[in-house]
Amino acid sequence: MKKLGAVIAVLVLAALSTIGLASCGGGSSTSGGGGEGQKGGTLDGTYASFPDYLDPALSYTAEGWTAMADTYIPLLTYKHANGVEGSEVIPGLAKELPKISNGGKTYTLFLRPGLKYSDGSPVKASDFPFAVERMIKLNSGGSSFYLKIVGAEQFAKTKQGPISGIKTNDKTGEISIELEGPSGTFTNELGLMFVAPLPQDTPIEDLSGNPPPGTGPYMITKSQPGKGWEYERNPYWAKDNGKAMPEYPEGVVDHAKMTVIRNPETQVDDIERGTYQWMQNPPPASRYAEVKEKFEGTQFRIEPTISTYYFWMNTKKPPFDDVKVRQAVNYAVDAKALERIYAGQITSTQQILPPGMPGYEQFELYPHSMDKAEELMKEANPSDKDITVWTDTESPNNEAGEYFNEILKELGFNTTLKQINADNYFTVIGNLSTPDLDAGWSDWFQDYPHPNDFFQPLLAGESIQPTNNNNFAQYENPAIDKKMVELAEAQLGPEQEAAYAKMDEEVMEDAPWAPYGTRTLSTFVSDEIELESVIFNPTFGHYLTSFEFK
Amino acid sequence: MPTEPSAERGPWSLALRRFLRNRLALAFLGLFLLIIVFVLAAPLWANHVAHTGPNEEHTVEQITVNGEKKDVVSVEGKPIGPQWFGAGGKFFLGADSRLGRDEMVRLMYGGRTSLLIGISAALLATALAIVLGLLAGYFGGWVDSLIARTLDVIWSLPVFLIGLAVGIALAVGGLKLGPLELSSGSLWNPILIISIFTVPYIARPIRGEVLSLSRKEFVEAAIAQGASPGRVMFTEILPNLASTVIVFFTLMIANSMLFEAGLSFLGAGVQPPNSSWGTMITVGVELLRIQPLLAILPGLMIMLTVLSLNIVGDALRDALDPRGKARLDAALQFEAQPATAKPVGEATL
Repeated sequence: MKKLGAVIAVLVLAALSTIGLASCGGGSSTSGGGGEGQKGGTLDGTYASFPDYLDPALSYTAEGWTAMADTYIPLLTYKHANGVEGSEVIPGLAKELPKISNGGKTYTLFLRPGLKYSDGSPVKASDFPFAVERMIKLNSGGSSFYLKIVGAEQFAKTKQGPISGIKTNDKTGEISIELEGPSGTFTNELGLMFVAPLPQDTPIEDLSGNPPPGTGPYMITKSQPGKGWEYERNPYWAKDNGKAMPEYPEGVVDHAKMTVIRNPETQVDDIERGTYQWMQNPPPASRYAEVKEKFEGTQFRIEPTISTYYFWMNTKKPPFDDVKVRQAVNYAVDAKALERIYAGQITSTQQILPPGMPGYEQFELYPHSMDKAEELMKEANPSDKDITVWTDTESPNNEAGEYFNEILKELGFNTTLKQINADNYFTVIGNLSTPDLDAGWSDWFQDYPHPNDFFQPLLAGESIQPTNNNNFAQYENPAIDKKMVELAEAQLGPEQEAAYAKMDEEVMEDAPWAPYGTRTLSTFVSDEIELESVIFNPTFGHYLTSFEFK
Repeated sequence: MPTEPSAERGPWSLALRRFLRNRLALAFLGLFLLIIVFVLAAPLWANHVAHTGPNEEHTVEQITVNGEKKDVVSVEGKPIGPQWFGAGGKFFLGADSRLGRDEMVRLMYGGRTSLLIGISAALLATALAIVLGLLAGYFGGWVDSLIARTLDVIWSLPVFLIGLAVGIALAVGGLKLGPLELSSGSLWNPILIISIFTVPYIARPIRGEVLSLSRKEFVEAAIAQGASPGRVMFTEILPNLASTVIVFFTLMIANSMLFEAGLSFLGAGVQPPNSSWGTMITVGVELLRIQPLLAILPGLMIMLTVLSLNIVGDALRDALDPRGKARLDAALQFEAQPATAKPVGEATL
């Protein structure tokens, strides 16, 4: 019996041990984390429109640049930081900032060794001139920034290379760029995605449907133009590029999926419900106040921008080839009305340069007055009064376009309003073969913190190009062009800033535009996302590498 | 024995009597006429009550409501709500959007546009359908095959999607087809799209009726007397199609209005700044949370108009072709019966 008792005791002990062990192991898994940010996961985001292009050589919109900022790294790049700090140029694929010599005309950089594209092919120094040539061949809207390279203008005319001013050495990684003259902006322009190096077998065509391999922490794996696209981690980042560029953030989420949802009301509802974690565009005007009140500080943050919203007028053909007509329009546009249309997200301005941009000095040439506008119209008495007004379909820009249309009607024009889908708007109005490009809506956000960015691509005669044009007013003033070139050559200082301020006023006396405001944008995320971690860069918008789950 | 002349009634007066006995149809006919009066009164309301046009913007203006100044559009972008007669009739239903346009005025003018497009598209579709139906039904053979198959193709297309795609293209580029030139904002663009895609709905039943009528003795007699095909079709057969045409025309107005509302809602129909009930729903949906009436009102107008036309159209069909209803009822009853009777010739156990 003692033996039996011992056996029973052992069995009971074994049973108790088994029960005890079973209750200790595993544990419940939690989807949210305690602790500072969660690694991994899939970010689901929405855009109200598909980017103009998902091709680094071509895209020239906020949507496109936000989409590709952490995918294609140029030789230089911008610091991953909010506000003014985010405008600082730092080395990208290049080891250091360029050595500038030869009176400011020669830029020398060295590629970091060991870099790879997301398809595994090595990054070579000669990939840089290839990228520049590809961009010019594609008639990119950014071409005008790089025509100052020796041989680039000739290349742009003939499309036959190479560009003589760029010399490279694939063995040493040296890249030497010779400019026609010194430039105060070229360092900034080397940080733009237009000239991010690409493999030399990249086709010379728009690759938005199948984006080329890149060098950033993420790669675009699937693109359905009009619908959305997806990202995965670049398999060559962790062991190659990330090691070569340790200061560049590697990103937290493992995957990201962007969906185009054209109804911004739906986007807001989806964020509130947690269906999506981020919307790239700000909440619509009708929901802005509500979202701000409910979520500011927890899921919502206002982001000031350096931008100008404006109406352009085609200065090359009647009736807007007459400066009096253009000035009349400026007097007629009421900034207060537009502030309401944008539900307070616009601060009124009547200048080319926005507040916050070096060289900005406030002036008001055209205080709102319909009487003055009508007086000028009587003096001008244009014979051609049939005009087409262009705007895109995204709210509230479409309403701004409708407002502009009515203003022009009040001035006596017979207008036809054309609203173009936001996906294609800039491509359509940037194509000079589109008929009836008389007047319309546009906006411009700084590419880099230099006033040349608001003059050269938008108002320089040399910037007018048959496709991907950004000088919608087709403004060409030789005296102003000369000043632009001179100022762009010099390093930016107080003297240059004062000269830019004067040029701002001179151009507005010519009134190719009717500018009306500077926009505030916003960050709006679901409650799963750590708001504090999200970086909004003044040039690239929200960085994909900055999103992390709580 | 001959009947008294006063007791004889023609088919039209009999139809009228049957229609007038249908109180529901009369009520909705009255409602439809009221809607017509409402939209026709748009200039009167705009000029004498609201003192504004349908596209005039009042974004930064203020109005005096019961002695108090109010922003038409607040600084936060919220349009003023219904003021009824608080401001003498101005902004009776409030402002339509951040552009500060009078919602009541736009509702009335928008109704004119929607009804104009609906009626014009229905007229054009009916006219085309009559011609195609007559040709197909009268000539038969390859003519009938060609027309019928073309109608089948149109009918098999995802009509709304194609209409939307074509509408968007026309909204941007207009139409240039030989001498025909339409600007991108022309109302003829949605009218043409809607009429082309609704032709099969009318043409097929007309073709069926023409096929049947072509075999009647009066047609044979006309042919025997040397009447040309054109004369036979338009003077002998067409008058006998009147009741069918009238009924379908009425129903097609409703259908066309719904089609237009859908196209305009999606940006492929009426172009801004002009209003139709469809475009007003697009604008109103954006402000649904803060001013729900802006989307509800135009939707309600579409619903009431379409409902009225459908009920009146049904009543007209019943009045003009009572045997048609009886035939339909009999067919429906037959379909509903359980199969209890053994078919002839079936073997029994």
